[in-house]
Amino acid sequence: MTPASPPKLDTRPDTRSGAQLVIDALEHQGVSHVFGYPGGAIMPVYDALTASSLKHILVRHEQAAALAADAWARVTGRPGVCLATSGPGATNLVTGLANAFMDCVPMVAITGQVATPLMGTDAFQEIDTFGITLPVVKHSWLVRDAADIPDIFAEAFRFASSGRPGPVLIDLPKNVTQANGISPRSLACRTAARAVFPLDAKALAAADRLIASARRPVLYFGGGIALGGAEDALRTFFQRSRIPAVATLKGLGALPTDWPGFLGMLGMHGTRAANMAVHDSDLLICVGARFDDRATGRLDTFAANARVIHIDGDAAEISKLRHADVALAGDVAAILSALSGQTGGIDGWRRTCEENAGRWAFRYDAPGSGVYAPALLKQISEAAGDKFIATCDVGQHQMWVAQHCRFSRPQAHLTSAGLGTMGYGLPAGIGAALAEPDATVVTISGDGSIMMNIQELATLRRYRIPLKIVLIDNAQLGMVRQWQELFYEENFSEVDLWDNPDFAELARAFGIEAFTLDRRADVPGAVERLLSTRGPVLCHVRIDPRENVWPLVPPGKANSDMMEA
Amino acid sequence: MTTQIDIDFLPAEGAVVRLIGLVERRGYELDAMSYAPASTTHRLTMTVRPRPGPRRIETLKAQIARMYGVTSVSERMDSPRLEAAS
Repeated sequence: MTPASPPKLDTRPDTRSGAQLVIDALEHQGVSHVFGYPGGAIMPVYDALTASSLKHILVRHEQAAALAADAWARVTGRPGVCLATSGPGATNLVTGLANAFMDCVPMVAITGQVATPLMGTDAFQEIDTFGITLPVVKHSWLVRDAADIPDIFAEAFRFASSGRPGPVLIDLPKNVTQANGISPRSLACRTAARAVFPLDAKALAAADRLIASARRPVLYFGGGIALGGAEDALRTFFQRSRIPAVATLKGLGALPTDWPGFLGMLGMHGTRAANMAVHDSDLLICVGARFDDRATGRLDTFAANARVIHIDGDAAEISKLRHADVALAGDVAAILSALSGQTGGIDGWRRTCEENAGRWAFRYDAPGSGVYAPALLKQISEAAGDKFIATCDVGQHQMWVAQHCRFSRPQAHLTSAGLGTMGYGLPAGIGAALAEPDATVVTISGDGSIMMNIQELATLRRYRIPLKIVLIDNAQLGMVRQWQELFYEENFSEVDLWDNPDFAELARAFGIEAFTLDRRADVPGAVERLLSTRGPVLCHVRIDPRENVWPLVPPGKANSDMMEA
Repeated sequence: MTTQIDIDFLPAEGAVVRLIGLVERRGYELDAMSYAPASTTHRLTMTVRPRPGPRRIETLKAQIARMYGVTSVSERMDSPRLEAAS
């Protein structure tokens, strides 16, 4: 690890409480925002919070605290912080922790706990938070002595960000935060430091040889680009090598989506051009991606004739699912920069890929006069420009965003990729808007997803967060309905949401401006109104419930076996 | 096929549960286990058997090695010792 600057020692007399040490530790880490919800066991921390520099965002459900912290972290690159009480407060955080764990988002979750003498007695609001969260955190600490608080918090922030980032949890029994006159055991707070990996010269040379001899290479990149701060290195390598590129859902934005040679997202709802390029490739350069099943389809058919160079910040991902002919674990940016990118005779291949991208490009001339969601989303992202940040929920609209929106940076596309958390979009929009106040943050949700965290409209209203919400309403659980239509012989089971509320009325009841869009002719005006509204605004878009997401790779099939409309 | 792995780690509350949980969640059955406290690091030795699926012991070792407090992971017999990065 690189050496960190020694922290400034706090020389105040030791009259602080455990709770005060918690607040001091957060301030010491440079935390600006904390997303949370108070309750019994965490009250000492909330008591100390009022005199702090921290901006606390009171959400209306702890899950939203974790999801907002997640988005805040994705945009800033620093750990997001969420705070909840014991028992149900902590259990409500679990989905958000799992979301961050699956998508490698640095997060520090702080939970209250019953006093240590009561632990194990089934006390009021006692739950084994430490045990429940074990599978969904990088690490966790149960603080039994307030003197350990400074050190534990320093370690928590360091570990959340280091290596493969992820969430960590600190469980704070009430008697620990209530304790007074604490002499911290150590103030040797270690600030986050980036690990330094030596480059493997032999593997680099082997990779260069494979690249030079390949005739149909494809660059397949994922979320590891943004995690490794490797956007610039990727862009330089892409331009230097001229190798056609495809992205995973989490990789979108690492290359601007309108760059020639970028073929779009691969996988289940990927573009035909991306999937066919991978299918036909003789060399796959996988960078910061993990051969996830949504990307690969049937694994044994995925780039079946290709050699593989696997570059990743996490050695555990190399050859986990697909054997790597050349493995390069370490600093992704440094590795990409060290590769020569010298190719031999791929001009024809590149031309074929680009022609395919043009031939199979999405069309936006759908018949009818109703709103065509893909066209609307494309238009919004183009109008918002480089300041655009989309936060998605999960379902059909999520795939339409990935397929049709323009992204110029990874932070522009915040989506629950690994866990697929319905309800992510709205709290994530809150977190993103607070993290980058001058961005145009647009939450794109569905009528199923938004109801999972609809209460956060109150948070929007309270802080006047200028989030734009585009609610794509087909009065269905659209993705499930699509699968039931295609793979369950149209046996539609529990997908009809005919009894949805009037979402525009609902938003107005929360004090948020809202309007409804249901005619294609009104789209330009709606986009203009959406983007020019100064405060929070919800655009309720009614679409044809029969719309499906195309193309689609059926489950268990190869990516080359795509279904089209 | 079973494999025996040695894990050296800094003792802390929940550390053993965390290690066992990871091994089981990553698709391995636990055939046998022994635990040996020492002065600084403790050693957990596990005999594991992969459940059906694409599972490589090297991947499991790397997943254990990146855990907080783990100082080394090694496979009994002739496999190289994997030093933890964190």
